[in-house]
Parts: sequence; C-alpha cells; structure tokens
Amino acid sequence: MSEAVERLTRLVEAKDRYRIPFADLREAQIGAMNERFRERKGQIKLVAHRAREAGITEVRSHEDAVKLLLPHTAYKSYPESWLAQKRWDRLSKWLDTVSTHRVPVDKVSDAGEVDDWIEKLADNGFFVSCSSGTTGKSAMLVASQQDMDWCKTEAVAAYSWGSGVKPAQDRRIFGMAAIAHVARNLATGEAYTAAMQDPNYERFAYPVPPITVGGLTQMVVLRKAIADGTAKPEDIAAFEKISAARQKAVDEAVGITAQAVVAARHSKLHVSGLWAGLYNVAKAVRAMGYSAKDFSPENSIYVGGGLKRAVLPDDYREFVYETFNIQPERSYQNYSMQELHSGMPRCQAGGRYHVPPWVVPLILDQTGDNLLPMIDGEYEGRAAFFDLSLDGRWGGVISGDKISIDFRPCACGSKGPSIRDNIVRYADLKGDDKIGCAGTVDAYVRGVA
Amino acid sequence: MNSVADLKKDAASDATAAIPAAFFARGELIEGNDAIHRSRDLGVNFATPRIDLNRIVHPRTEVPPLLNVPLAEIIDFLVETGQRITDPNNLFVQSCFDRMCATHILPRGVLENQIKGAAAYLDRRLLNTVVEQNFANPRALDEWVPHQDYTGRRSFVRAFAPRLVHVLPGNSPGVAVKSIAQGAMVKAINLFKMSSSDPFTTVAILRTMADIDPNHAIVKSMSAVYWRGGDDSVERVLYRPQYFDKIVAWGGGDAINNVIKYLGPGFQLVSFDPKTSISMVGKEAFASEETLDIAADLGSADVMILNQEACVASRFIYVEGDHTQADHFCERLHERIVERAAASGDTRPLDMELREQIETMMMMDDEYRVWGRTDGRGCVIRSDEPVEFHPINKTANVVCVPSLDEAMRYVNVATQTVGFYPFDRMADYRDRLASGGAQRIVHLGEAGPSAIGNPHDAMYPLHRFVHWMVHEDGCAA
Repeated sequence: MSEAVERLTRLVEAKDRYRIPFADLREAQIGAMNERFRERKGQIKLVAHRAREAGITEVRSHEDAVKLLLPHTAYKSYPESWLAQKRWDRLSKWLDTVSTHRVPVDKVSDAGEVDDWIEKLADNGFFVSCSSGTTGKSAMLVASQQDMDWCKTEAVAAYSWGSGVKPAQDRRIFGMAAIAHVARNLATGEAYTAAMQDPNYERFAYPVPPITVGGLTQMVVLRKAIADGTAKPEDIAAFEKISAARQKAVDEAVGITAQAVVAARHSKLHVSGLWAGLYNVAKAVRAMGYSAKDFSPENSIYVGGGLKRAVLPDDYREFVYETFNIQPERSYQNYSMQELHSGMPRCQAGGRYHVPPWVVPLILDQTGDNLLPMIDGEYEGRAAFFDLSLDGRWGGVISGDKISIDFRPCACGSKGPSIRDNIVRYADLKGDDKIGCAGTVDAYVRGVA
Repeated sequence: MNSVADLKKDAASDATAAIPAAFFARGELIEGNDAIHRSRDLGVNFATPRIDLNRIVHPRTEVPPLLNVPLAEIIDFLVETGQRITDPNNLFVQSCFDRMCATHILPRGVLENQIKGAAAYLDRRLLNTVVEQNFANPRALDEWVPHQDYTGRRSFVRAFAPRLVHVLPGNSPGVAVKSIAQGAMVKAINLFKMSSSDPFTTVAILRTMADIDPNHAIVKSMSAVYWRGGDDSVERVLYRPQYFDKIVAWGGGDAINNVIKYLGPGFQLVSFDPKTSISMVGKEAFASEETLDIAADLGSADVMILNQEACVASRFIYVEGDHTQADHFCERLHERIVERAAASGDTRPLDMELREQIETMMMMDDEYRVWGRTDGRGCVIRSDEPVEFHPINKTANVVCVPSLDEAMRYVNVATQTVGFYPFDRMADYRDRLASGGAQRIVHLGEAGPSAIGNPHDAMYPLHRFVHWMVHEDGCAA
C-alpha cells in the first residue's frame, strides 16, 4: 500500500478520527486518490477506459477524481441473460473489467449454479457480494481477502464509536433480519461475534434460511424469462410457491425470535436488524407480556438501512427502544452502501453521519456529472465517495442517494464532514409522472419484483 | 442549503419565474398561479391555476354537447383548426413553442415539425377516411341506425358520445392534435390530462378552436388541465364511472399502474401501450455495396424518427449475416445516424446508466463492438443477442443472426413496428410476428407513415371509444 493511503486508512484505530477538518485532509486525500489511481489504471480496465476518455493522467484535484468515479450501476452492467444461461465464462470476464486482480476465468467457468460460481471465486480469493436489487438487477461487487479483513476491523470500530459501547464479549447478539449470505456480510458478522458475543452462549441464529446469491438472482432470472416470453406457467407457479414458503419462514421467525429474546432477557443484549423486523419482534415480545422493565438498561441496538418501503406506525422507533430497554446513547446507526467498505456512524449529539478520513466525500449535482463546491455550508446533491480502503475494486463510486453534507463542525464536536439524517434514493423520488408511447417489455411483467 | 442546484431551484420557485401554463375548462380559459410544478425531464418550473373539479366534469343529466352536431360540421371545424395551427400569425401556437422549449428535451425545430405534421392530420379527406375505417357504418355517429335481424327483431344502434379522460404522453406533442380530433369525431366530452413535459400544446390548440367560435359545441366539449400523474387528491375524485366512461392512456409502468387501480365496471381502460420497435435486415442487403447503403440509410431513418423518442422509432436491428457483414452494416448505419443527429441539432448526451452499460461493452470487445461514443452524437452496438437496456437517444443495437427465423424469438408483447428489408420477404414473416405480439410490419425506412385509418395498437381506437347504445324495438309484425 502506498504512503498516503496507508496513513489515512491507519486512522481506523485513531480515537479522534472524525475530528479532522476536511480542509486539513484535502492534500493527503488527493494524494492518496492519486496513489490509488496510479496503481489501478493498469489493473482495472474500466478505470483505464474512464481515464482515457476523460484525458486524466494524474489526480490533482477533486474535479479530477470526479471524472474517474464509477456509477453504482457499473456493477450491474452485465447482461442478465448470462446469469440465466449460466455463462460463467462471460460473467467472469465481465467481472474482470471491474476487478483489480485478474479473475481466473478458466478456474471458475465450469461452475454449475450461481452459488457454485461465487464459491469457486471465493476459493480463488475473489469475494463477490451481491446487492438485493430492489428494482431488479443485482450489483456484483468483487473484493479481495484484504478487503474482507478490513471490513472486520472497520465495522466494529465504527460501531464502537457510534454506540459508545466498548466491545467486551459480554453481550448476546440477536440478529432479527434475514441476511444476504455474501462474503462481506459474513465477514462483518464474524467480527461482531468475536468482539461482542459472550462466549458462554451460542450466537442466536435467525430462523430463516440464508439468502444466497442464487436466491437473490432467481427472481431476476425469472423476471427476464417472463419478459422474453420463455417462462412457462409452471415456472412461475413454482417460483410463487418458493416465495410463499420464504414468507412463511419470515412470519414464523418473528415468534421464535421473540421467545428466544425473552428467554435471554436477563443477559446484556445487542439486537440488530431492519426496522420492520425489529418492530414485529418487539410487538410479539409485548404480546407475551414483556417490555422495557424486563430487559437490561445496557442493551444496545444496530439498525441497518432506512424503512425500505415498510409501512409502520409513526412511533415505531420508540416502540422498539421501549420494548428492549434501549437507551438513546446505545442506539447505533450507520450510513453506508454495498459499494463502499467503510461506514459513516451516526453521532449521538448531532444525529449526523460522520465521514471518516479515508473516505473522500464528493457531492455532485443530481445527474452526477458535476462536483458542487465543497466549502463551508451544507450542500444537497448526489452522494459520491472515494473509499481509499478498497483493494479488490475501484474505490470511487457515484451512489443513487440524495444527501445533505456539511463541511462545518457538528454539534457532537467532530470537525470532519457529516451527513444529515434525511438520505433518500433518487430512484424513490422520480418516476411518478413519466408517460410516453415508447417503452419496454418491463411494463408487461407483473408480480415478480 | 446553498448548492448550485438549489440556487437555481430557489430562483425558479418564485412564481414570477415559473412558466405560466393555463387550463381550459369546457370552453373557458382559466389562468392562475396557484400551483407550481416541476417538469419531468428538464426540471423546469411551471405555474398553473388550481383545478376546479366541478368545471371539468359534465353532469350525466345533460347530454353531450356534440351529440347532435353532424359529423360533417365537426370535421369542417377541425379542418379550419388545422389551418389556423399552421398559420405563423397564430400567437397561441407560437407562444406555446416558446414555452415548450423550456420543458421539452427535443429541439424547437423538431417540436415545430411535430405539431405542423400533426396539423396535417386535420384534413377533410383524411378525417373522413379515419371514421370510415373505424366504423362499419359511420352513420351510427350521427343517428340511431335501424337494424333488423333474421328473426325479425328490430333495433336501433348508436355510437353514442362517450365521456373520455385522455392521459396524454409527454414525448410526442403531436398526439394532442390527434387526440382532440378523435375525441371530437366521436362527439365525446373530453378531459385531457397534460404531461409535465408539455403542459402547453393542448391548451394552445383549444384556444385556437375557441378563437374560431367560442360557443361551438366542440369547444364546450373540451377541457385540458395538468396534475402530477398519480396525484390521489385528483385521481381518486375524478376517475369514477359516474364522471367518465373510459380512460384513454398512453404509456406503461407507473403511469398505467396509477390508472389501473381505479378501473372497474363502467370505467374502462383504452390503453396505447408503451412499445418498442425493431427492424429486420435480410441477407439480400449484402448483395452489393449499393444495397448495403440503401438498407443502412433506411434503417437509420427508422432509428431516428423523432430522434428516437417515439415508439415507432427502431431500437434493435436484426441483421441476417456474419460478424463481418454485420460490421459493414453497422459502420454505415452509424454514419447515417450521426448525419441525421447532426442535422437535427440534437446533442443531448446519454444518461449515466446507459453510458455505463455501453462503456462496459466497449471493454468486452470479443462479445460486442461499438461504433461512435456515448456523447449523444449517435452510437451503434453490435451483439449476438439484443442488449438488455432500452436503446434511446440515437443508439441502435445491431443484433447478428444467422437467419431472420432466429430473430422471431426476440419479438415480444412489447413489439410494435417491425421494419423489414427486403420487402418481398415480409409475407413470410407476418404470421410469426403477429403471434409473437407485434402489431405492424412495414417497409424498412417507413416506420413512420401508415395507411390512413389503420388500426393502432392492434385496435380501431374510435370504435373502442364510443358508448355502443342499443334501442330494441320489438319484433316486426
């Protein structure tokens, strides 16, 4: 690793890492992005192409870096038909265009199903995570062993800063969400367990079969088959059956989880999940006659993501906190995305997400083409980041999120850049008024989304 | 907040800076700055009056104003409207162009031609032909047509004037002219829901009509307003069989999903579906340099209809040949697309997601070949299977197939027009194309024009618009 990158990523262990003003980091961050660019331009084909198109030979400014960012959609630019046809040779070649290290196409092409392909890649040191793709196609994000190791350190450090909880292997962890069974989630899960789980107990296993990449992409593949007109009615019926079984498992998991958490109520707990799942378990716990008074006041919580379109009562947060006896200071929230390998923990005093020094925030206009000025004040626009920690793929990514970022100090005392807790996806904002006679077969596919 | 984007927004959110877009309610112009909206594509603000819902719904206790106006008189009125639309002194239309340039993605010249082209639809002979093609007996529009079946049972049938909501598309302003004419010819009470990229054209045409005769029944039968598609506060109120018989809607996705939830007995959908058009180029194109040039030129004409914003514009071109042949075709096709794009003055760059997908294909050069760049000046991609994105904004996907028979599996329920070369092979393919879901097969290069009054979207629309009313009159003695 190069000098500036090394210097910034090493701050993951530094206590005062969110206190460094953006202006003070400017030079080091630009230098580090340039180091990354120099290494990667000969390694990642898509970055080399982008640099050629933009005429960039060095990163000397934030503007230069913007021209080298890859949109989050770059990781879904593979044709879905290759998934359906199990063309692992082609998909591997595609993966190679966004990978730092050369994908051993020949060693993985003879895979059977997609999960098999993912496993073979992992055996060769290529860890592919797959986004759930709420609107269809899944992003395929490749990472290296070094990235997996980094996630383990970073996730726990960010949690500890944001929640004020010092990991001491003295809690019982209750995950209350079905987790995608992908390398990155497994790595961070392992790290949380090692840091926090009381070794006298088994970690609670959420009673829903893990969602593998194959499970995630099955729907995508079927959707495409319906659009192409090749899906047979029995194919759709079989998928509906699997979906119903999954839903049933999710519904039943609520009761099982509530029973288990009540049985463990005398221990110090750490609960995690998405709001919808947490709320449902909390409701079941209340129905059993338990609430805050029955749980330890030192319990902590980690909620990932927003509401994800779930519809809950207005007081869902309070309801969850009050059920599990969570004090506000032990509630941890984090802003991140699959494309990044670093999180931005939310502070207690200001309620804002803090950008660490090894992540360069770049705020763009809505179209993602132009950098907005990054001086004093709060700016609203499209979030882009350069995660200097990333090894296995390019760290510069343009997200689909609309954020408000402020480069002034936060109420919590941190002087680094921070993001307001009102993040939305651009995709959720538009699309309400689009009418035209030209359109695609997507409009003719019902029910598989 | 003080981002550049916000500064622009702040300036524009001032009502004085927003472009005024008036409404039209059953013959009357309504102006006002009660609501500020944002246009779909360019994010420009426009100001509209508040919608007075009572004024745009015609009570069922009153028969439609046009019911007993003879069709011939309606057509006379439409013909005069057409002449006034093209009159350069028509201030309504001129100011409409000025405003539309701010909200629409297409260049002014293309928009002007669109509306002028649409005005040509308001031709007496043409309109008469449309009616004759749509109705076995057009007299049913003007009178109760007597009929007696073979058992001796007598009746009268009337193509009764319906109550229609038209949800207009945003991509093609010429549709407004056609929709007004069609609504008038079936003597309907019409409510036009305008789109955010064009909240101007419909009202400009209706004002032109009111200028001819403000009290004519045709003018009293027309309303045009804007609300944001999916706005429950309007749609939950209006979309009811007590107020309208049918909703005539263009498009798919959210636009149609919003409408579908209101359908039910007595409130039906006539949908002009979102469509993708394609081309088929047979091996005969490679007979000589000359035929190759012809096929590429015709192909490019179909790709570039309304700069590829229209549903009839071709997006996928299936070429019967090997890679070398297809590459020759691509090269020439690309040249022609670039020429046509340059001539129209359209330099809109591709959007980020499309750009990304095409650039990835440039990397995968053993699978794909790309002519041109993603700069909006025209781009052609050659592949062995159709690409999975929607080629738009001067982008053509040439798909290499060993035989056009192989291309039949790519025809689907979203396929509208299939441009074909050579023309003498069309009959061999039309049954399979129809079975796959396609709606039109045309000579390559002629995706735009169609025989007057022919079906659209696999139906005779005017025939579907009317309320077929029966008067049973007992048995003959």
